Amino acid sequence: MQLYSPLSTTPRRKAVRAPALPKIDGLRIGILENGKLNAEEMLNEVAALFVQRHGCTVRTLASKKNASAPAPSNTLTTVAQEVDFLITGLGD
Amino acid sequence: MSAMAFRTHEVPDDLLAAIDYCYDQGWTDGLPVVPPVVDRVKAMLGADSRPPDTVIAKHPATGLDLSLHAAAVNAVMAGCLPEYFPVVVSAFEAMDKPDFNFHGSTASTGGSAPLLIVSGPYADAINMNADVNLFGPGNRANSTIGRATRLILRNVFQMLPGISDKSTQGNPGKYSFCIAERARGNPWPLLCEVQGYAKGTSSVTAYAGGGFCNVENHGGNTPEQVLGSVADAMANYGCITLGQAVVILAPEHMQIVAEAGWTREQAQAFLFSQAKRSVEGMKGVGKYRDREYDTQHGEGAHALAETGFVHRGLTPEDILITMGGGDAGGHSCFIPSWSRGRGSIMQHGAIRAPQ
Repeated sequence: MQLYSPLSTTPRRKAVRAPALPKIDGLRIGILENGKLNAEEMLNEVAALFVQRHGCTVRTLASKKNASAPAPSNTLTTVAQEVDFLITGLGD
Repeated sequence: MSAMAFRTHEVPDDLLAAIDYCYDQGWTDGLPVVPPVVDRVKAMLGADSRPPDTVIAKHPATGLDLSLHAAAVNAVMAGCLPEYFPVVVSAFEAMDKPDFNFHGSTASTGGSAPLLIVSGPYADAINMNADVNLFGPGNRANSTIGRATRLILRNVFQMLPGISDKSTQGNPGKYSFCIAERARGNPWPLLCEVQGYAKGTSSVTAYAGGGFCNVENHGGNTPEQVLGSVADAMANYGCITLGQAVVILAPEHMQIVAEAGWTREQAQAFLFSQAKRSVEGMKGVGKYRDREYDTQHGEGAHALAETGFVHRGLTPEDILITMGGGDAGGHSCFIPSWSRGRGSIMQHGAIRAPQ
């Protein structure tokens, strides 16, 4: 008996990590909060640690309305011009 | 179509062993599946005239594609007949629209399941149930179309419970969540008509449903009483968000509403205006957020959005209402949207009936 596979025939998209920054001292931080309860508070706390420990500066706070959808490309494009790295994450 | 074009598995000529093989491969929802033998898959594909490698949906997070072929394999496994296949295909074409956000709605702790509502003559053509025991069990088309949806999410898009599907408590609708809109005795235009499809064209509406809330009212005999019960369910503190809503009125309840001359639009406006909680009350349970209140009451706010209150949804049109279920019983239902709001917006698509 021959069965067809029920799986997708397309290969999984390869996710590529951004290259690590050689150093973070004095860099500019962006925060991308996802609209979830506590997200902004938690991310600000994380950013404060970078400021305190590495002399970073917080340049921008961007928001997205939908936590589970990718950030709009124009948001990322704008933020990328202003910061050296971006902090994001869930806030539940 | 060449059988060589898609991956196959050789198993012994023993159906029970083949069922066990499907379990061993991790291809099931926990229940036994129909082994997807080649001939049945080909018969399923016969219900769509396009090439089997036609892509009908894409998963935004993984990049995995759903081809007609993979959809057909999973439809066979779910127990679908070929004539059900156009509904499965249209459902995924609808869910593929970005605003449905089916990655988020299927991965989330919120645990929603895609509710499919089939509207129009195709529901009768394939013997779907719009009547007694609407949400099941008992009808092959309803059960297996909904199940095929889940199997595709699991097998093709790899939304695996506990791994990529992180639902806190799951949802019985994740086995199957598919109904037909009841046309018999329905005093309002069918959804497919409201959605603007040509006469004779059926539709499927996909909605990320966060559960099922029975609304019992056997004593109310006015639209305000019946719909007031529904509005109260829609506004309970556990459910209220800015999200959309689906309300399926039992025929008994619909009769009360329609005999008083109420249109669907009037019922939607009533539900929107009544399904609300005060700002103080929302603060009291820890669910109030300035941002959400401003969204509902800021620029472009609907005239029925009352100052000092949080309503369910943003406009009356956010509430889909139709009729379904058996003739007896004052049992309607409200189906809340996925989790906390507007992360998924319901979508619909035309069903391509086979020629």
